Amino acid sequence: MGDIEDTHFETGDSGASATFPMQCSALRKNGFVMLKGRPCKIVEMSTSKTGKHGHAKVHLVGIDIFNGKKYEDICPSTHNMDVPHVKREDYQLTDISDDGYLTLMADNGDLREDLKIPDGDLGTQLRSDFDSGKELLCTVLKSCGEECVIAVKANTALDK
Amino acid sequence: MDNSAIQTLEAAAQVLMAPPNLVTSEQRHQAESVFLEFRSTKNPYQLCREILEKSTTDCVLFEGAGLIKTALIREWNMLSADDISSLREYLLSYLLRREVPTYLKEKLLQTIAVIIKRGSINDGGRERRALLDELEKIILSSTISQQKLACSLILAIMQEYAITVKSADVGLIWEVHFKLKKSFEGQDLKRIFRFTVGVLEQIVRSGHQPEGEQAALTKQLLTIVENILCWNHVSPLLSKRLIGAFEAIYESDTAPALRLSLNWRDTIIQPELIALFFEIHMYVRNNPDLLNSSLTCLVQLASLSGVVVSASNLKQQYLENYVNSFVRILGFIQPSEREMLGISQIYRRLVQFFTAPMIASTPPAFLQYLTQYTCHCIRGSVIEEGINDDTVWRESLNKFLHTWSSIVHDADGFSNETLMNPCIEIFNTYLQCRLAPPDGTRGHESSDGCNNDIRDDMEEDERQLHSNVLLTIGAIARKAPAHCCHVLHTLLTDRSKRLESNLQLMHMGKMQNINGGEQLVTLFEDLHWILMITGHFIALDCTEGETVTIPTELVEYSVAQNANVDASLRYLVGETTSTDNVDDILKLVGEILRISSYECAALEAGLAAAYSPELSATLSWLLKIWSNAYLTLQPPNCSEVLEAAFGRGSRGVSWVVGLAARRAAATLRHLAAQPPAARHALALLATLAYPHHRENPLASCEEFLALIVWEANGSNLPGELRRELHRVFAIAATFAEGEERSRLLSSTIALQEKLMNIINTESDTEPVRNALADTLDCFIGIAEGVLEVGTVDEQFVLLMGALDKIPGIIFRYHNYPGVVLPALNLLAKSAKRMLHSVQPQNVTKFLEVCNATFEVYMRWNSGKISSIPQDAEEEAYEVNILTFCRHQTKCTRDFYNVLRASFIGC
Repeated sequence: MGDIEDTHFETGDSGASATFPMQCSALRKNGFVMLKGRPCKIVEMSTSKTGKHGHAKVHLVGIDIFNGKKYEDICPSTHNMDVPHVKREDYQLTDISDDGYLTLMADNGDLREDLKIPDGDLGTQLRSDFDSGKELLCTVLKSCGEECVIAVKANTALDK
Repeated sequence: MDNSAIQTLEAAAQVLMAPPNLVTSEQRHQAESVFLEFRSTKNPYQLCREILEKSTTDCVLFEGAGLIKTALIREWNMLSADDISSLREYLLSYLLRREVPTYLKEKLLQTIAVIIKRGSINDGGRERRALLDELEKIILSSTISQQKLACSLILAIMQEYAITVKSADVGLIWEVHFKLKKSFEGQDLKRIFRFTVGVLEQIVRSGHQPEGEQAALTKQLLTIVENILCWNHVSPLLSKRLIGAFEAIYESDTAPALRLSLNWRDTIIQPELIALFFEIHMYVRNNPDLLNSSLTCLVQLASLSGVVVSASNLKQQYLENYVNSFVRILGFIQPSEREMLGISQIYRRLVQFFTAPMIASTPPAFLQYLTQYTCHCIRGSVIEEGINDDTVWRESLNKFLHTWSSIVHDADGFSNETLMNPCIEIFNTYLQCRLAPPDGTRGHESSDGCNNDIRDDMEEDERQLHSNVLLTIGAIARKAPAHCCHVLHTLLTDRSKRLESNLQLMHMGKMQNINGGEQLVTLFEDLHWILMITGHFIALDCTEGETVTIPTELVEYSVAQNANVDASLRYLVGETTSTDNVDDILKLVGEILRISSYECAALEAGLAAAYSPELSATLSWLLKIWSNAYLTLQPPNCSEVLEAAFGRGSRGVSWVVGLAARRAAATLRHLAAQPPAARHALALLATLAYPHHRENPLASCEEFLALIVWEANGSNLPGELRRELHRVFAIAATFAEGEERSRLLSSTIALQEKLMNIINTESDTEPVRNALADTLDCFIGIAEGVLEVGTVDEQFVLLMGALDKIPGIIFRYHNYPGVVLPALNLLAKSAKRMLHSVQPQNVTKFLEVCNATFEVYMRWNSGKISSIPQDAEEEAYEVNILTFCRHQTKCTRDFYNVLRASFIGC
């Protein structure tokens, strides 16, 4: 089931692979890169080289965009690195099921019920806001077949 | 009664000092309150005496000693003079008869010093003089431990008087502190100095080696003398704040100059005194504990100034005495590292505090040793760079180079003839240390040779790292231009030939690339250093935008050569290799340009992977500082050759600019992934973009215009470099006119089209967003470039085309900080850098954009709760940027409104 879902979302996006190549020197801090097979946000970039007259290598430190784990890698600046396609989409929250799944409505009216309520403070806030009857807008982060809700706000945008 | 009090205190001390698991917090609190109560005891002197005599607990002894001091300060006015006097006598006799731990000794000595200082308000220093008499007697006739104690007491008294602004809490106002310091200075400081120096003389002459107790006593005496020589004689005319600043210097490592009043003349001017200090130094120099103090004394004596030597003949005489003794000892010694640092400071101070003609009249040995030691330190510091983090050789070298800097820049000092040989020696030594064998000795110092240079970080720019030293080496070299031009030209010609042949071999596939070619690395390193030295020789490194001219010495040298203009120009542009009758400076420039064209050809031939990015960076740097100096206004009386080559309207300028631009373009195309090379290439382009002789050769340079087309067609440069490139385009466009200007502005128009294409595209993928962020970044470059040279409305209008789109971009990409941040940064940069000099109607337009952006941004972000910490941080930052933009714009608009109103009012 999970596999089918993943395939569905990838092809539904652009029809292309989950990543694309980019020259290491063109990466930028706060951008995204695949480190150890995980989609990461680059939090630190520094250059070094072997020998004074050698060519530059880029030292990358990234934070996994889904689980917050830290990864590092080093790569010659002329080589290519994989960059993940990252999407952040807004959905209107219409319901929360008993087993903790969210019912989310996209801009075009499509409904989905495959995402769980997020862990931690965000989840608690989401539930209490929903229970108090607020119209909520959830931002869903999607990359490399993984998805999760990363932000929530009162849906004022709909009024305008 | 007293005994029981002591017992209580000792019991409390035991509780306080006990490990935490053995006492309860309540017991500890109780013990603390015992001491708190003890500290506020009234009239505690008898009790404290009992404690000092009977107690064996450290903590109680310490508290007792502390209490005497605080109680004395507190109850001073209630105590009779006799009581105080007897207490002081008791404390001194206590210290003299008992062996007490240091912490207690220090406390009690300080207490005596406070009594002395406090008492001198009323008795005018009578008691102090009596005590000093007593201490002198002790030093002359007692046991060595008592002598040491007497010295410590003198030091404690001096310390008490030395500082007025941050004095101990003795309950006196600053004015009183200051008056006391002045009276101490006037009455007793010189006396202490003379006495101490006398004792030191006896010790030196006694023939005993400074070892053990004797060394400890010598150290004490030297410290007293050192403190007197570093004493801060501050004028009462200065404000309290300034005096505080002076006293802060007194406490730091660098002592102020030795400025003495007239009454010191009879003491300090005596030739025997200086000779004695050098004798003392010879006596102690093998003892590392004593060496520093004696060196400090000598350094201080080298800075003698003030009214004491106001008559110039006195000053001259003093310098002669000093230098004679100084060079005499230099003849005997092989200075150690520490001693070398002291010697370098002595040289620095002498040159700083005595006039150039006085320094020039010193015996030849003075300059000889200076040269010899500078060379020694150059070698030492190069070795030091490779092996450890210690910087003592480099510190000494810096001091020596400061000295040289003063010497070579002062026209009233040594003649050029006198300086020529020493300068050649230093230049040669430096060059040798930086070159590989057979021309130099690089890599000999350490076992792993050239690999020694491998560094794993690129945080500090090589050219910055050595710039201070090279600046002075360049200035020294210009004192012997003929020699240095010849040597540098020979080296450049040789290495450029080698570079050319190596690159050709590589191109033909007959040579390994950089990883296999150690020989090639050696060549790169040699060239890197030769170019850095040549750069600092032919021009001055300065910050961007600063105007410098060709160094005067080189102009004079060029005039003196009177070379053939045609032959020189032909050599410069590479039409001939014959150096007959060619101006020496043009020879150097011609060779640099030749190397630069080899590099360019190699990069274009696909050898980028084998080429050194570091060397490329150095070459760009050199061309940058060179063009800064040579392509601007020529100094008056410039030589015919230089005028013909680089003067206004000369063909040399556009030719050189074209070559430099072509090279920079090649670097950007082929070494874009190498940060130092690409950055320096762009810095060179930025320098060339400024007008030279009110003309703008870069604007009409085909190579540069090709770069615009290349960028417009998708250069693939990393974002940061593209931004910088657009900054260069913007600078060049600002200075250009007519057709040229339109061609340069086409870069902005192309960028705008690109932005429109991205905005209009349906696809919303990561590459599209990256391209959008990059494009916005390029607009930031434009905003920065326009500011540098004064804003132009036309460019702002072009920029407005992009700014207009920001609210829409934020609306569409509100979920992507990677796009939102550059968009907001662009807004902020434009507000900060351009807004103040555009037309009022543009300000209003800009404010509209700001307001619209703010509205859109808040609509999507207010009340948002995010689970990703970085997102939250970024959002906070974004809100700040936006708020800043709105405020800035509103202020500007208000400013215009006020301005308009005031005009109407007029």
